[in-house]
Amino acid sequence: MAKLTAYHLFVLIAVAYATIITIFPLAFMVYGSFTNWRLDVSGMNWVGIKYYIDLIEDYRFYNSLRVTFLLTALAVPTEIVFGMILAHLMRLQIRFRRLFRTIFLIPLFCAPVAVSLMGEVLFYEGGGPINTVLNILGFGSIPWRSSPNVAPLTVVLCDVWMWTPFCFLITLAALEGIPKELHEASIVDGASSFQIFKSIDFPLISSPLITILMFRVLDTIKIFDIPYTLVGGGGPGIATEVMSIYIYKQAFRDFTLGKAAATSVVFLVIIAIITSLFIRRLRKYYV
Amino acid sequence: MSKMVSRFKSVITYILILLFSGFFFMPLFWMIIISIKRPIDQFTLGFIPWIQFEPTLRNWESELVGQASENLRALMNSTIIGLGSAAIATFLGTLAGYALARFEFKKIKNVDIISSFLSLRFLPPIALAIPYYVLMQSIGLLDTQLAVILVHAAAFLPYSVLVMRDAFKSIPVAMEESAFIDGASVLRALTNIVLPVVAPALAAVFILTLTFSWNEFLFAFILTSKNAYTLPIRMAGSITTIGVIFYTLSIRQLISVIPPAILGLLVQKYIVSGLTMGAVKA
Repeated sequence: MAKLTAYHLFVLIAVAYATIITIFPLAFMVYGSFTNWRLDVSGMNWVGIKYYIDLIEDYRFYNSLRVTFLLTALAVPTEIVFGMILAHLMRLQIRFRRLFRTIFLIPLFCAPVAVSLMGEVLFYEGGGPINTVLNILGFGSIPWRSSPNVAPLTVVLCDVWMWTPFCFLITLAALEGIPKELHEASIVDGASSFQIFKSIDFPLISSPLITILMFRVLDTIKIFDIPYTLVGGGGPGIATEVMSIYIYKQAFRDFTLGKAAATSVVFLVIIAIITSLFIRRLRKYYV
Repeated sequence: MSKMVSRFKSVITYILILLFSGFFFMPLFWMIIISIKRPIDQFTLGFIPWIQFEPTLRNWESELVGQASENLRALMNSTIIGLGSAAIATFLGTLAGYALARFEFKKIKNVDIISSFLSLRFLPPIALAIPYYVLMQSIGLLDTQLAVILVHAAAFLPYSVLVMRDAFKSIPVAMEESAFIDGASVLRALTNIVLPVVAPALAAVFILTLTFSWNEFLFAFILTSKNAYTLPIRMAGSITTIGVIFYTLSIRQLISVIPPAILGLLVQKYIVSGLTMGAVKA
């Protein structure tokens, strides 16, 4: 009996901590979304689903949805494909393998804000290194951060720089888990390295790839740091105003916490749907 | 013929590898170069010290000595918050991870408890930032290290629970069973017998949560202002206040990147399982 209580206690402490610091505040936020909660005025009066109805007509809400999914749709596939190419290259017989692997890992440890600082320097439009090189090669300067059409791509580029290493590392780990005999047998049968990849490696790593996809999709949807710091709070205009930034502005610039909370709830529901789609596949790792 | 083909292939392989290396390494390399360039050289393309430009440590000196108090404060805050939140998350995660690895819960299945922790990992921080701000304001913790420590520990708790559970699962139960026969308690078996075996994983979880906290922006941004600000907050502020003084930006960026990069490379072995919360094994 003593054994039983100790195990229960161990889990309960962590569950209690998560409940107090995460679940209660979240529940309070959901309650706040039905009130005229403000940052600058005390008191919360019930307004029902007013803010939810407002969202239906809110063009900035739709803009933030569009921008968020655009960034995700551009960044995540690029990261996964780059990661697969890199992982494949790293498995070939090459020199300085460890050195290259270390280089490919560096971005993993950079803060997103540090990447923004790097972007500030590299993408500087009036004489930054990238535009200077483009000019030398005979191309015009690119308005990396001032054009509403280019700025989302600049954010994507930064995200790809940051997260390709993650995709690379996990894909490589999955590839290294494949028994060598499978490869040897197909080489004897005369298969090319692409054929091997297509018919042996790819099916065997499809499950880790889905894991990667899940982590990248759900993390990119929540993106805040880079578009907030690199392009002046989701700018130019609202060209990179993702969901998180729009909610942030509602709460901490307009002080309309109730409205921000309602938008957050919608955001949460979207994330919960995507999470539940993936998590069913992931559960098997934890049984 | 086939020899030529394979030669061609290996050339392509190396070209691709070098292109990717350039893509990942050049930006950081450029930040290092910029930090040792004289202000007058900062818009030039030269990147070979002594040959293309005259390197100087004056920028580092003026940032580290001239701006010492702000930099030191950000560094101290990041370190204290990182260590504090990593300690809480690792401690709670170890206990819960051990119980989830060794004991089958009846009322709620283990896999459901684990999935719940996993879904906490995917909550959008902005949804929590709003209640956190109001909560911390009402209990007077706004702009304190403690506020960020508590929040970061909760944010990274799912990581440590799942990764520690994974580490415990990988060692045989037989290790503790003999201790139980000798009458040891669960806590005793955990601290004296199991923990020494999983020490490397424990260290890795601690270091990973430390770097997550070190790099985290949104919570620290909302909960701190002029006292408890961390390095990312100081960096984000420099983008607007420093503008195009690139050498200052580069030094602040390097100060923030170097510590987690060194720590991260130390625990390379555990990164795969750490970042996928145990779903993929290295």
